[in-house]
Amino acid sequence: MPSFPHIRSAATLTLLALVATGRAADWQMSLDTRLVTSDAGRSFMDGGLGTTRFDRNDSGVQLGRARLALSAPLGELWSVHLDASVWDDKDRSPLGVTEAYLQFRPYPRAGYRLRVKAGAFYPPISLENRAAGWESPYTLSYSAINTWLGVEVRSIGLEAQLDWLGTRTGHDFDLGLTAGAFRWNEGAGVVLASKGFMLHDRQTPVFGRVGPPGGAEPFQQFDGRTGVYAGVEGRYLDRVVLRVLRYDNRADPTQIDTVSGAIAWDTRFNSAGLRLESSAGWTGILQWLDGETIIAPPGVRLVWPFRAQFALLSKRFGRQTLSARYDRFHVDTNSPDGDGWQNGHAWTAAWLFDADAHWRVAFEWLRVRSNSYYRTELGEPPVATETQLQLAVRYAFGL
Amino acid sequence: MRPPARLSRTACSARRAAGALALLTALGRAGPVPAATLVIHVQTPDGHGLSGAVVTARPLDGQGKRPAPMRAVMDQVNRAFAPDLLVVPVGSTVAFPNSDSISHQIYSFSAAKRFQLPLYHGKPYPPVQFDQSGVITLGCNIHDEMLAYLLVTDAPYFGRTDAQGAWSADVLRGRYQVTIWHPRLRESAADLERELTVGDADRADLTLHLLKSLQPAPIADRPHSWDY
Repeated sequence: MPSFPHIRSAATLTLLALVATGRAADWQMSLDTRLVTSDAGRSFMDGGLGTTRFDRNDSGVQLGRARLALSAPLGELWSVHLDASVWDDKDRSPLGVTEAYLQFRPYPRAGYRLRVKAGAFYPPISLENRAAGWESPYTLSYSAINTWLGVEVRSIGLEAQLDWLGTRTGHDFDLGLTAGAFRWNEGAGVVLASKGFMLHDRQTPVFGRVGPPGGAEPFQQFDGRTGVYAGVEGRYLDRVVLRVLRYDNRADPTQIDTVSGAIAWDTRFNSAGLRLESSAGWTGILQWLDGETIIAPPGVRLVWPFRAQFALLSKRFGRQTLSARYDRFHVDTNSPDGDGWQNGHAWTAAWLFDADAHWRVAFEWLRVRSNSYYRTELGEPPVATETQLQLAVRYAFGL
Repeated sequence: MRPPARLSRTACSARRAAGALALLTALGRAGPVPAATLVIHVQTPDGHGLSGAVVTARPLDGQGKRPAPMRAVMDQVNRAFAPDLLVVPVGSTVAFPNSDSISHQIYSFSAAKRFQLPLYHGKPYPPVQFDQSGVITLGCNIHDEMLAYLLVTDAPYFGRTDAQGAWSADVLRGRYQVTIWHPRLRESAADLERELTVGDADRADLTLHLLKSLQPAPIADRPHSWDY
């Protein structure tokens, strides 16, 4: 098992090499600050069960994200991509890498395009997180589905994508097939089972930790198994995208890491998404997720089925974007006392204003109502309604 | 010749075709054929003029020369081709200067010209020559949303329709094959070929009514940085 500091060192070296040879690199930097008011319970970043990023003790000015991203060609057909962020001071290290990968992209031939990625990156699931840095251009907080992907799911391995470029050959459709093989995702599922779904924009850095010391570590490998995913994507012109993907980390749920005591979480899910856009500036997104995560330490087999959906409607008015989203989420359990059970829904409304190429102002209202078994264990009422308001100012520059 | 059911013509073109042809033949032998104005109108199914459609008119009687090759430029500005459609005669060259500060990798897998062109900032590349007629779809291997078209033609008369959907040219009298092309057309090129005769009147009109609606225009104001 490679230790994460070595991989982080490699990433840092790659970054330095990119900066040193930065003539050909495209780079972006951004700083996103927030003015927050929230009545939410203790945030997951502090080890609590709050469903939003900021809790009632976080009201005031907060760092949203400071980001540095680099893309550089390596010869004509290869390129390297690095996305690093500073979120706040609870990370293991101040700078966390959310994606770092090599990409091979031969020129399309005869209407087909092949792309191969190697490294750490997001599998192609979210239809919401389409902006730079895997951010949403519609809201500050991601949907419950995509928040979970940002917290626990990353492909650390290989991915191949083959597209048929129908729209470049006189048709109305494009079709794509994706397949990935990955490791270091045996922790995926632990946050769902121990906290449930949340809505925020805090992506876990690769080999990072969720929350304070002792928090979940999704990116681990100790059972020697390789996870896989496969997906299909269909597009109608530039108006409609339909994505379906099956993910299975194929972890051995009986395995326990003797060093850290971590358990392998066998997590598999199906996801589907539909995005519709119009030339009048309307965007509609539907996403659906259905899966389960399993652990089986000696003498017990615990299963947490989970599912979530959201519908987002957004309208662009020039440089302004107004969006509304409704989320539903549920974590079930076979544990007799209900460990990990969660049920909830959320409303999000956001206004984003791109003042110019550099400045963006955003305002978001988020209300999450959830029923969680774990709150009763803490002696709290199981049902909580949490409201978070954020005013964000972001300055971005680069190429 | 295709049935003229969908064509509306001025009285003096088709009906007098035979006579005009005879006259043309005679004139052709005698010396230069006087010019007339050929006017092509392209209408969408809802009756509006289609602007930006490429019209070519190719003489069927052998008169008129091949157009002289030209040197055209298709720049890359702010992650887009500028212009995003060029019509050039066969044998022309097109330069891709890349005015962006980022790299592009231009490619085409169209039958009329397959090529790949890495465009690094500040590193000029020789223009590309296009020797075969046809529609060439251009993309960028780095920026998937970039899209442009080159139409290479061997017709001596070509151009694009104006805001009212009309295009005109002063042509020699004779029989012509007229073709229409537009990036968002759903009809095949063969279905939109017409023949007409420019007779002894000063002007010949041809209106092409599209039967299928166009593909919707690409969404214009979506930020380039978005996953598209």
